[in-house]
Amino acid sequence: MTKQKKKIENEQNQFSKKEKEIQKTRKNPPKMHKNKKEIKEIKNFSKSHQLFVKRLRRDKFVIVFFRIFVLAAFLGLWELLTYTNVIDPFFISSPSRIISQIVLLAKDGTLWGHAWVTLYETLIGFAIATVLGYIIAVLLWWNEKVRKVFEPYIVVLNSLPKIALGPVIILWVGAGTNAIVLMCVLICIVITTMSMLSAFLSVEEGKILLLKSMNANKFQIFFKLVLPSAMPEFVSVLKINVGMSWVGSIMGEYLTSKAGLGYLIVYGGQIFKIDLVMAATFILCILAFGMYYFVSLLEKKYNPKTKS
Amino acid sequence: MKNILTFQNVNYFYQTKDDEIFALNNVSFDIEEKSFVSLVGPSGCGKTTILSLTAGLLTPSSGKILLDGEESIDTKKIGYMFQKDFLFEWRSVWKNISLGLEIQKPKNLDEKLAFAEELLKKYDLFAFKDQKPRSLSGGMRQRVALIRTLALEPKLLLLDEPFSALDYQTRLTLCDDVHSIIKSEEKTAILVTHDISEALSMSDKILVLSNRPATVKDTIFPNLAGKTPLKRRENEEFGKLFDNIWRQLIYDKTEEKN
Repeated sequence: MTKQKKKIENEQNQFSKKEKEIQKTRKNPPKMHKNKKEIKEIKNFSKSHQLFVKRLRRDKFVIVFFRIFVLAAFLGLWELLTYTNVIDPFFISSPSRIISQIVLLAKDGTLWGHAWVTLYETLIGFAIATVLGYIIAVLLWWNEKVRKVFEPYIVVLNSLPKIALGPVIILWVGAGTNAIVLMCVLICIVITTMSMLSAFLSVEEGKILLLKSMNANKFQIFFKLVLPSAMPEFVSVLKINVGMSWVGSIMGEYLTSKAGLGYLIVYGGQIFKIDLVMAATFILCILAFGMYYFVSLLEKKYNPKTKS
Repeated sequence: MKNILTFQNVNYFYQTKDDEIFALNNVSFDIEEKSFVSLVGPSGCGKTTILSLTAGLLTPSSGKILLDGEESIDTKKIGYMFQKDFLFEWRSVWKNISLGLEIQKPKNLDEKLAFAEELLKKYDLFAFKDQKPRSLSGGMRQRVALIRTLALEPKLLLLDEPFSALDYQTRLTLCDDVHSIIKSEEKTAILVTHDISEALSMSDKILVLSNRPATVKDTIFPNLAGKTPLKRRENEEFGKLFDNIWRQLIYDKTEEKN
C-alpha cells in the first residue's frame, strides 16, 4: 500500500513540477532562436529523425569527399600525363613544376614582392571604387533631377569596355601603379554605383511614407531606412568588386607594369615559361579567394534574410 | 464634444501627365474628439486621399481642413498606421517602437521612452522587446506597429486598412485589441476600410463615400450595444445596418456601369 501511495505521490509531484515548468515558460516565453548548444541539449528526437540526420550527414560527407576527389584526380592526371610525356609540359606545365617554380620564387624573395604589389593595387582600387561608387549612388538617390540627367551616361559607361581607356589612362596619370589602380577603379565603380542606386530606389515607398509621417527629414530617411535596408545589396556589391578589382589590377599590369603577378604572367608568356605563368596564376587564385572569404564573413553578419 | 478634425468643402485633383483626376468632390465632415470614425466606400474612391490630406502629405486643391482648430496641419498630432506593418527587420521590437522618438528627438525623451515601455507591458509585448520582428506573428506585428504610432502620443490616429493583410481570425481578434487599446488610451481614430462589418463593429460613426470623385453620401451612427467589436456583431441591428451600407455601395457600382 505505502509503496503504491508513494508512487502516486511521486507521480503527482512530477506532474506539478511539469506544470510549474510550463507556467514558467508561459511567463518567460522561450527565445525563438536557440543557439547550437541549446539545440543539442534538447535533442531527444525520434528514430526516424535520427535516421534523417544521419542521412544528411552522410550526404554532406559524400559531397566533401568528391570535391576533394575531383581536385586530386585533376592534379594527378595532369601530373601523370606530363610525367609520361604524353603531353609536353612545355605547353601546360605540371603541378610539380608549378610547386618547384613557386619554391624558387619564394627562395629568391621575388614572390612576396610581386604578390604584394598586385595585392596592394587591388586593395587600393577596390577601396576607392567602393567608397566613391557608394557616395555617387547616394548623391544620385538624393536628387531625382541629377539622377535623371546622369542616367544615360552611367548606362553608356557601364557598357564601355574599360580596357579601351588604357592608353588614355597612361597619358593622364603616367605608367605604373597609378594607372593600374585607376584601371581597377574604373572597372569597379560603375557597377558599384548602379547596384547601390537600384538598391536605394527599391526601398518600399510605404516605409518612406511612414518616416515622413513621423516628420523625418531626408538625412534621417537615408540613415534610418535606406542605408540599412541596402546593406545586403552592399555586401553582394563587395563580393562582385572582389572579383572585378582583381580583373582590373591584372589588366592594368598587362598594360603597364614592372612588377606584380600580372607582370609575371606576361613576362612568363613572352619567354615561353609556362611554369611561371601557372605559378603566378595559382598564387593569384589563393589571394583572390582569401579576399573573397573575408567579404563573405561580412555577409554572415548582414544576412540577406533580414531584407523584408 | 470638441471637433478635432473638420473638412470644409474640400476638393482634390490628382495631377498626371495627360489627365487631371477629380478625387474628392466637396467633402465636408466633422470628427469629434475621442470618437472612432470609419470611412467606407468603393475601392479607389479616395478614402486614402482623405487620410493623406489629413496627415498633411497632400494639400487640398480647394476648401479647408482644420486639425484641432488650426488650418496649418501639425503632423506631430497625427499617427499613421498602414496596411502593412512596415516594421524594420534589422531593428528589435523595442527599437522599432522607439523609431519615431529617435526621429523627433522630443525634449522629454526619457518620459516618452518610459511611456512607450509602459505601453509594451500593458499590451503583452514586453517579453518580445529584444526580438526581431521576423519572429512575431502577423497580429503581433500589427500591434507593435500600433504601439509605435501611439508612442508618439498623437491626438488623431489614421488607420489605413490595418487589418486587410491578415487572416480572418487574426483580424477579428486584432479588431478587438486595437479597439480596446484606442479606447483605453482615449484617442480619436479614423479607420479606412472596405470591410463593412469591420466598420460597423468598431465605430461610433461611419461616413459612406460615393464613387470617385468621392462625396460623403451618408453618415451612419451604428450605436450598437456591446463592449467589444466582436460582441457588437451579434446585435440584431447589425444585419440591417450592414444591408443599408451594402446597398449604397452596390447602387453606386451599377450607377457607374449605366
